[in-house]
Amino acid sequence: MKWIKKGKIFDPAKHQSSNEYFEFAQSPQALVFNDFVRIYFSSRKKSENGKYLSHIRFIDIDKDFKEIINISKDTVIELGKLGCFDEHGIFPMNVLRYKNKVLAYTGGWNRRVSVPIDTSIGLAISYNDGLTFKKNGDGPILTSSLHEPFLVGDPFVNIFQNTFHMWYIYGIKWKNFNIGDTLERIYKIGHATSQDGVIWQKEGRQIISDKFTDESQALPTVIFFNNRYHMFFCYRQSSDFRKNRDRSYRIGYAFSDHIVDWVRDDSKVGIDVTEGSWDSDMLCYPHAFHCDNKIYLLYNGNEFGKCGFGLAQLEDTE
Amino acid sequence: MFKWKKLGRVFNPLEVENVNWINEFAQAPSVLIFDDFVRVFFSCRPTADENGQYVSYAAYVDLNRNNLFEILNVSKEPVLKLGENGTFDEFGTYPLSVIRNGEDVLGYYGGWTRCESVPFNVAIGFATSNNDGETFNKIGKGPILSYSPEEPFILSGPKIRIFNNRWYLWYIAGRRWIVADGKPEPVYKIRIASSSDGINWTKMNKDIIEDKLGEDEAQASPDVLFYNGKYHMFFCYRQAFDYRKNKDRSYRIGYAFSYDMNSWIRDNSKVGIDVSKEGWDSEMVAYPHVFELDGNIYMLYLGNQVGRFGFGLAELEGNLG
Repeated sequence: MKWIKKGKIFDPAKHQSSNEYFEFAQSPQALVFNDFVRIYFSSRKKSENGKYLSHIRFIDIDKDFKEIINISKDTVIELGKLGCFDEHGIFPMNVLRYKNKVLAYTGGWNRRVSVPIDTSIGLAISYNDGLTFKKNGDGPILTSSLHEPFLVGDPFVNIFQNTFHMWYIYGIKWKNFNIGDTLERIYKIGHATSQDGVIWQKEGRQIISDKFTDESQALPTVIFFNNRYHMFFCYRQSSDFRKNRDRSYRIGYAFSDHIVDWVRDDSKVGIDVTEGSWDSDMLCYPHAFHCDNKIYLLYNGNEFGKCGFGLAQLEDTE
Repeated sequence: MFKWKKLGRVFNPLEVENVNWINEFAQAPSVLIFDDFVRVFFSCRPTADENGQYVSYAAYVDLNRNNLFEILNVSKEPVLKLGENGTFDEFGTYPLSVIRNGEDVLGYYGGWTRCESVPFNVAIGFATSNNDGETFNKIGKGPILSYSPEEPFILSGPKIRIFNNRWYLWYIAGRRWIVADGKPEPVYKIRIASSSDGINWTKMNKDIIEDKLGEDEAQASPDVLFYNGKYHMFFCYRQAFDYRKNKDRSYRIGYAFSYDMNSWIRDNSKVGIDVSKEGWDSEMVAYPHVFELDGNIYMLYLGNQVGRFGFGLAELEGNLG
């Protein structure tokens, strides 16, 4: 596979209105319209205690991905109420058209004491083409369970073969790597299915094999073409991954012919960091989508998307 | 109206000496009956840490079956380990409800974690014992019953029963956090789930006990006995805040019954037990556990400060009509 990089298409620093300063544009996710593409992302604002809150915003961009037509001004989706799973952030938000509605699967963040955070997956619905979303309840639709004890997040949902499929991540350990007292999370990619998009059954196993010990795998996205299901995700070491480019996120790849078993083959991914560029040290949070018979990949670069997101186009699908 | 005759306090954790993890509190008692003794599980706490925060351990006392006021034995170690970093039960296992399943004893418990914006969250865990409840092993690091759209937080107070070959779990689910005097206090309601195997649960997804104190009533400890063709539930309820020291807003025991487990009729007027004029249960009565033993029906329950000073026993005079 070969992805042609189109460059960074959105930089939050260049699109600030006077009273709405925010940082980061993480985990871009596309909703395709006739004349434009709406791209949701998570931005960060500092809360009173100096910690970040992630809020969902979107841009509408023309189909050449050059001109930003519109930036969301109103709240796309509210953060959760006191004590709820998504009180301290929504990141990411994956969207899917379904019966005149847009479904949003959210990664909701809430802060803990012994570890920084926990996450669960929520569902929200839009009846206005994705301008605003209303949650289907205060709680999550997918959360911790016997063998997936915490950090259930990063949902990606699509309907294949008349079934809703969700790929997501779940934590297996908060590990002390003896770098200070910090605990670092380790998570893996899982899979769940549903008939209605609301009630889900976890498959209950790690579906992407590990590349190395203590690998963390994140943000799966699945796209069907050439009679095959293709998954892109990101992976990294679980310690010293924030500033050490050799241990930070890269994009991985796996494929499946029947959506059940996946063969990991990162050598086929066809995209890597670019020296001297905005994505020189890290590639993360991929989102693959079809648009006008082309296949695109949105992704973040250095510093987990602090400086925006970019786009690549698939050149060769053979 | 039922008539419960109070028999007195059975166990006071302050009288346990030289066991640092049983310092105070003996909460949410529930029993496992043996030929010669009755094992009463409860949750206790060591001294609070420098920030005033407690952890909670599950323990038991064995009572002489022929004299429930004679303590034969106290557990030597917590029956359940706390969870590892970041897990749902890292800071407490409270309460624990047990049931026999063949040679094993199965335990369902509330696992406690600590949060930033609210003091805690709870989800329901599962563990098994092959030594009559002396120790339990978890089969996974996560909860067996956790949050869902209409049950967003605080799934706690599990009570496990089997009726007609079906497993039932009564529990509470948080509805909202109310901030009173700058401190978040949870409102929770009694819920029910059922299962064919005790592991995979289906929530009924509704509040089964109507409110008596308005929508901010907190309900807890739903414990059910089947008797004379009816399911009888004893539970406790309180005002949403200012309930710890204000006697008029603190826990009382309530009653409801059902013929089908689905619809419940609340009738607190029948409950037949209230606070005493003085003594260890003069301010509140809470966390009832009802059980049948040798032809009698008993209730274990907590008194003042939600069991800080232990639990007591009452005996039903007559039967559950």
